[in-house]
Amino acid sequence: MSNNLFTAITKTITREVKRMTGRPIYFISTVVIMTFSYVFFLTFFNEGQPAKMPVGMVDLDNSSLSRQFTRNLEVMQHTKIVMRLNSHKEAREEMQRGNIYAFVEIKKNFAKEAISNRRPVITFYVNDAYLIAGSLISKDITYMSAVTSIGMQQKVLRAKGIDERRITGIIQPIVLDTHLIGNPWANYGTYLLNVILPGVLQLMVLMMTVFPIGVEYKERTSREWLKNSNNSMFAALTGKLVPYTFIFTVLGIIGNLLLYNYMKYPMNSAITWMFLATFMLVIATQAIGILFIGITPVLRDGVTFAGLFGMLGVTFAGSTFPIEQMPVGTRIFSNFFPIHHYFDIYVNQALNGVEIHYSYFSFIALLSFLVLPLIVFIRLKKAAFKQNFPIK
Amino acid sequence: MKIQQKLSPFKTAFFIINDILNVIKREFQTMFKDRGVVIMLVLAPLAYPVLYCSLYKNETLIDVPVAAVDCSKSQISRELLRHIDATQSIKISSRYATLADAKQAYNEKKVHGVIYIPADFGKKINSGEQTTVSVYADISSFMYYRIINQDCNSCIQDMSNHIQVERLNASGITGESATILSNPIPYEGIALYNEGAGFASFLMPAILIIILFQTLFLGIGMIAGTSRGENRFHVLVSSSVHRGGTFRVIIGKSICYFLLYASWSFFILMLIPLGFNLPHIGIPFDILMLLIPFLLASIFFSMTVSVFMPHRETGMIIFMFMSLILLFLSGVSWPQSNINGFWKAFAWIFPSTSGVQAYIKINTLGADIHHVSFEYMSLWVQTAIYFATTCWAYFWQIKKSKTKILNPSVI
Repeated sequence: MSNNLFTAITKTITREVKRMTGRPIYFISTVVIMTFSYVFFLTFFNEGQPAKMPVGMVDLDNSSLSRQFTRNLEVMQHTKIVMRLNSHKEAREEMQRGNIYAFVEIKKNFAKEAISNRRPVITFYVNDAYLIAGSLISKDITYMSAVTSIGMQQKVLRAKGIDERRITGIIQPIVLDTHLIGNPWANYGTYLLNVILPGVLQLMVLMMTVFPIGVEYKERTSREWLKNSNNSMFAALTGKLVPYTFIFTVLGIIGNLLLYNYMKYPMNSAITWMFLATFMLVIATQAIGILFIGITPVLRDGVTFAGLFGMLGVTFAGSTFPIEQMPVGTRIFSNFFPIHHYFDIYVNQALNGVEIHYSYFSFIALLSFLVLPLIVFIRLKKAAFKQNFPIK
Repeated sequence: MKIQQKLSPFKTAFFIINDILNVIKREFQTMFKDRGVVIMLVLAPLAYPVLYCSLYKNETLIDVPVAAVDCSKSQISRELLRHIDATQSIKISSRYATLADAKQAYNEKKVHGVIYIPADFGKKINSGEQTTVSVYADISSFMYYRIINQDCNSCIQDMSNHIQVERLNASGITGESATILSNPIPYEGIALYNEGAGFASFLMPAILIIILFQTLFLGIGMIAGTSRGENRFHVLVSSSVHRGGTFRVIIGKSICYFLLYASWSFFILMLIPLGFNLPHIGIPFDILMLLIPFLLASIFFSMTVSVFMPHRETGMIIFMFMSLILLFLSGVSWPQSNINGFWKAFAWIFPSTSGVQAYIKINTLGADIHHVSFEYMSLWVQTAIYFATTCWAYFWQIKKSKTKILNPSVI
């Protein structure tokens, strides 16, 4: 019996591999798309954090103090002063054109007022419609403004003859020391690619589960498919999907190696856990794919479901906007996305490097997706024989 | 709409219009008869924006649980923690005696950050020395890190200012001059256009344009793939339709898509921002002006590519993932100024890039149409180019179908 099953599966695998070489779509939606995504995202985010973003300067004072401020700002990591403007209106229009993400305004008599203790204000405007650019630049300008103020304080306090140790105590009584757990450089690539790349992977796995199965029903080859596997639906499904499990796991592990070895993104535990998580993400997603095509064995609907679900997966992984802060129903719903559990494993293992037992639940959750195909098992088999579903 | 179809050699113009109307009618019929196309061209553009807007409804984080480790146990450390707890984004949900205990809570995902106040905190404050507060923040999502850091920073800054004045007083600098010296050059940072630094206000406008573009692209691809798959000669345009010539087919089809998507655009770009309280300070007329070339460029781009779709599912399978790529190429999250030359050029191929940029500038930043002249011109140039490529592609397809009809052996 088990020997029979084994031959049935091997026969189906052989048949599927033959089909895969027959049409370019199989190669494109596995190797080509994943390779393109790797190349795209790794070259797109290779800076880590966006550096030297364009900022404008409205310096109406043009004193040595204001020029000093401008020069200091130039050396900051995220800021590059690309234009000097003559008025607030001009600067605002440049911002609306998208040529600058922020501008600093220094009013007339800035230096004079500073020396005569009249507290001149440095004002800066940041375009938070581009949130990432806005908050990084804002950090730079805030820092530089504080430094300017502190410099002024130091000068006055020294002139008053107060000793250095007390001066530090006065100008900055409490220092905030922020540690970023696991990603100390706040690398944008680390944060995004660890969810986007598995996101693309699960989308393509979903598509390439629904398509190869659905196309058998669409092209009315499902009887032949089942016959080839000795009328065993289990063998037919397993044999059909094993080649994709293999291809996508290999592609996924290549992705892991690219992120953690080549790009040197944080990996604070054994990389093999991520390999395992990738493999389980692939099989859990395949299980969902079977469910989709089983609900209606119509290729077009299956592909539509798969696309909808796959795109939502990226949101529901919970990296861009935390799931906990979404509406309550969403939180429960997110558990139905394998990538959500994959992301948890990534946070625990790669980012935080905690003991593996914290991730047991996520692994078990991924494994439990494998129950899903049972729901549609009989339906798929019946439909394969009767071929009673519309093909369009 | 119905025009009598009678042969009349004097009314060529009338015939052309008649043909175009015919194509429009047929196209609308094929569209609404096909469930898959209806999902893509009707349901998706209506449902997706509502779905995404509801998911990102909470623009910012509220009461993120954070653990406190107060080793100082002084009055001043308690006061600082009270201030942090009172902020909108942070809630001190638990207190631990040691950093190790707090770390345990963090590992169990009970908290997203830890605030550590050292034992000598109160003592150092009283003796006029500099002291440190450490914050450990979750960076699995940038939102956690940004919010925790920002709120702790502002609380500490406030407290520092008070302490500064006290210390200056102790050093013999009093009254007004102490206040001035505690902050001799104040700064004021003003966030424009997205004052609350909201996540939805930042990302949703870009997503809305990408939804318009992608559904249009995939829908047109599906229609083309279907007519190709069902057609006797496996070509895009069946012979009965193109009797009137290539241009009439192209113009008829594009008018059909344009009419449909003009109404979706009104819903997605005008009503959705109003309903979900996203930024909407743009001048409606300018948005309309932008919309015309954006839709035309997108339609002709899609029609060109659709010629190469062999089956109805092909487009969905191969191009769905492009939504993510297009979102990043549009230069909203990763700033456009920092996209390298190659990808910038690649991004320009897609009308969605200029569409997103121009829409955000007009709708979120309140720019006029002449502020976005680069994007506006780009879209018109794209319209021209993709119209030409569509004509070429359809010509080629129609020629192919004609040879096949005349010469069935070629098949």
